[in-house]
Amino acid sequence: MVNLTIDGKQVTVSKTATIYEAAKEAGVDIPVLCYAKKLLPFGACRVCLVEVEQMKGRLIPACTTPATEGMVVTTNSDEIAKVRKTVMEFLLVNHVLDCPVCDKGGECDLQDLTYDFEVNSNRFEGVKFDLPTDEVNPLIERNMNRCVLCGRCVRVCDEIVAYGSYSFINRGFETKIATAFDRGLSCEFCGQCLSMCPVGALLPRPFKFKARPWQLKEVDSVCGYCGNGCTVTLGCKDNQVQTIRFNDKIGVNDGNLCVRGRFGYSYVNRDDRLTTPLVRKDGQLVEASWDEALDAVSSALKDGKAGILSGARLTNEELFLLKNVAKTASASLDHSGGECYKGVTEGLQETLGLASSTGTFPQVEDADVILSIRSDFYETHPVFGMVVNQAVKRNGAKFLVLSDKTGKFNKLPDAQTLLTKPGLEVNVLNAICAALLESGQAKTDGVSGVDEFKSALADYAPAKVSAQTGVPVEAITAAAEQLAGAKKGAILLAYGLPYTAQSKELAIAAANLAILSGLAAQDEAGLYICGEKANSQGAIDLGILPGDGLGAQEQLAAAAKGDLDLLYVIGEDPMTSYPDGAKVEAAINGAKMVVVQDLFLTPTAEQADVVLPAASFAEKDGTFTNAERRIQRVRPGITSPGEAKSDFEIFTSLLGRLGAQVSYTGPQAVFAALAAENGEYAGIDFDAIGPQGVVWGGDKLAPKQQVLVSVSGLQPVEARFQLVTGSALYHSGTTSTRAKGPRAVIDEAYVELGREDAAELGVATDDQVTVKANGNTVKLKAKVDNRLPKGVVFVPNHFAGTGLNKIYQGAASVAVEVTKG
Amino acid sequence: MFKEFIQGLSITLKHLSPKHITTVQYPRVRLQVSDRFRGLHRLVPTQDREKCVACYLCPTVCPAKCITVESAENEKGEKYPKVYQIDMLRCIFCGYCVEACPVEAIEMSGQYELANYKREQFIFDKKRLLETK
Ligand code: SF4
Ligand code: SF4
Ligand code: SF4
Ligand code: SF4
Ligand code: SF4
Ligand code: FES
Repeated sequence: MVNLTIDGKQVTVSKTATIYEAAKEAGVDIPVLCYAKKLLPFGACRVCLVEVEQMKGRLIPACTTPATEGMVVTTNSDEIAKVRKTVMEFLLVNHVLDCPVCDKGGECDLQDLTYDFEVNSNRFEGVKFDLPTDEVNPLIERNMNRCVLCGRCVRVCDEIVAYGSYSFINRGFETKIATAFDRGLSCEFCGQCLSMCPVGALLPRPFKFKARPWQLKEVDSVCGYCGNGCTVTLGCKDNQVQTIRFNDKIGVNDGNLCVRGRFGYSYVNRDDRLTTPLVRKDGQLVEASWDEALDAVSSALKDGKAGILSGARLTNEELFLLKNVAKTASASLDHSGGECYKGVTEGLQETLGLASSTGTFPQVEDADVILSIRSDFYETHPVFGMVVNQAVKRNGAKFLVLSDKTGKFNKLPDAQTLLTKPGLEVNVLNAICAALLESGQAKTDGVSGVDEFKSALADYAPAKVSAQTGVPVEAITAAAEQLAGAKKGAILLAYGLPYTAQSKELAIAAANLAILSGLAAQDEAGLYICGEKANSQGAIDLGILPGDGLGAQEQLAAAAKGDLDLLYVIGEDPMTSYPDGAKVEAAINGAKMVVVQDLFLTPTAEQADVVLPAASFAEKDGTFTNAERRIQRVRPGITSPGEAKSDFEIFTSLLGRLGAQVSYTGPQAVFAALAAENGEYAGIDFDAIGPQGVVWGGDKLAPKQQVLVSVSGLQPVEARFQLVTGSALYHSGTTSTRAKGPRAVIDEAYVELGREDAAELGVATDDQVTVKANGNTVKLKAKVDNRLPKGVVFVPNHFAGTGLNKIYQGAASVAVEVTKG
Repeated sequence: MFKEFIQGLSITLKHLSPKHITTVQYPRVRLQVSDRFRGLHRLVPTQDREKCVACYLCPTVCPAKCITVESAENEKGEKYPKVYQIDMLRCIFCGYCVEACPVEAIEMSGQYELANYKREQFIFDKKRLLETK
């Protein structure tokens, strides 16, 4: 700690604080332009100049100068004001006066500073920039005439996103920010750079000329896509979500978002949203009244054997009501396809006695060893990926990825990919456990099941597994050593619909490793289980799992046999996203009645007998629980189109029709009821959920038990080509394929091939490729890049109509034939 | 007393002479209003479009909240007002809109004869405002 005086005020700050940060602490405002809280100090603009007694004779930039003991700082004097004004004049020499037509007007730092310093004229003259705008991509417009060269875009893309799109080129007056070869922007389109730009040089194109910032109603809510649970501030006007506003004040994401969160909102405004209930009459879906549709659903629920398949983008309150609907109607209930969610939950219960992540996301930022399983997290939970990136880049964490493909983070200095053949992650995890036990580094105090586990690992000696999976022995033993030596380690596992295979095994294997390396019992971080959908964790917490009833796959099987009177699908499109499309189709055809509750007429809804129009996340009030157990408020920014109702209202009406006595006044009341029933949520008050949410169980959830359970991995699939599926960065589930933003980047399914395979097949990007397996073929465009090893092809699982689930039936990897044409 | 009475009456009589009449025979005769008169608004045209760039400053400053602007992008990629409309029934002729405009795209003319038969006729859209003399 150091003590210093700022404008006569005494402050004590940490040794690493800069003068600017110290001043902030003391409540003194210093103007800044190139400084940004989450970026490293840069010192490009000189707007923050201050006087320091000990360094008389020149002015010192407050944002880059460390505070030292005894400093006496003056932040405002005539001289400082004069110099700052001069700095502004310099900045304005070649800045175009675009304010009237610039979308940043009204929230532009340059505008504000110009106003504050009363820069009404300029003593200097220069040529105004006249550079062409970069509009080659559909999402971000770059107008370098407005750039003030603060470097925030360059830094955020490098420091936080680890993409590195931009750099400064040329010198002197010619200096500008450019992309590689000055060809225009083509990147991940996370939009971090545009959220950082203090001026109107980088702007969101979908929002171009739509409104002024002061006209927007801002509503803080939670992103409806993945389990990361980022805060999104909806900018609403004319009952539409016009844009997502930058907000780094609340939530866990520090203002960071991915392309889905930032540009994927537009589906809520689409014209083809369902607006009235539909009922099938004479083979046609026709518009019907809510009463008619709900009567049909409730009588089917009451009288017959029903199965309910829910999505995981419903709020906790809605899930709770749904559970009551299922209970009242004695229907089977499960969420999302496959056995994935169930498998993960069961696996974790058996080993650690819990079913969630043990730590919070911010704890990973200063972790020293991170192992991520199956994906490098960048595709599934991009913003958590940015946290990992910071841990590695800024804090020197060792990053291990156990996956069948290399990812973006492979490039990081301290990252290493344990590249395994597809589907063999469990084998490698077992081998790491074996190495730990063998070298005596394993932590076995208070752990039960050690001996049985040890003997079961006989088949998983590192050398043997290495031969099987292709991961070098040294990499396995090194990973074991690093994990055992970790002071604050984290193991990350993503799960979800496209990762159905071996979910229970993987959860157990990861938990075993967390136990043996001592991670599970650490005070912070530990094991992270990250669900695919916005409220996957909530669905698990509330027990939207089969219990004694039928699970998702069993429901489908029963329906196919004609044993199910009602299949009620909520917020899911099984025809597109569930593995084994043929089985789903048989179930839809076999069920006596199919009800779909959704935003759009999805391929599944087209086949339904009753379709109920539901509300999107932007129209709902309630809570989501993210992958770190954080319960956060979802708030409505707009109203639903037409007669569409929220799932909340639909379930309450159904409960009434089923004869249950319910009279909830709103989400508060339901939350109170669910908190009373659910131990983990007990004591949490809906109205007290603040801007940072509430992490149930506390920042670190101690495992209830530490039991090692032996699991076996798979045998490698022998085939020239194997197909794996999963999430593509730009999309999440099937919903994002209806949003303009993500679509603008990837608008159709593709098959990704490694360079070597592509060369052998003579295929280039955009050529047509045929993938054949299980007696079915799909034809897709090729995408060639460096991620995949030889023999592995990847197809994302988001797009309707690709027929991916004809060949993917839930296995970890599918032997396929790949041919050109 | 009689003297004062005559004095007063003489002023009245003086004003009866044609030289001193201040009443104008409206509508046959109309006064020339001052250049600074704040009458009906005019949107200033340029060669091929309106000068207004839809910056939203006038609707923001308008105390009567009677200006509606909707911006959009034209074929040339420029920002222009797809909708520009003033509700003259609510306008208080304060002239703030003129003062706020950064591109001098809106002016106030000398027109003050704004009476009309229907409420809708008081809504001046872009076309009418561009045609204001
Ligand atoms: S959108 Fe994201 S990846 Fe692209 S340049 Fe900006 S920060 Fe970098
Ligand atoms: S584009 Fe924006 S963020 Fe990047 S250097 Fe210019 S002003 Fe700064
Ligand atoms: S999709 Fe996930 S990572 Fe992306 S913004 Fe939404 S919650 Fe965050
Ligand atoms: S004159 Fe005043 S009240 Fe009338 S439109 Fe302009 S700002 Fe509004
Ligand atoms: S202030 Fe001027 S440029 Fe801006 S919207 Fe009004 S008339 Fe148009
Ligand atoms: S804010 Fe300190 S130099 Fe830019």
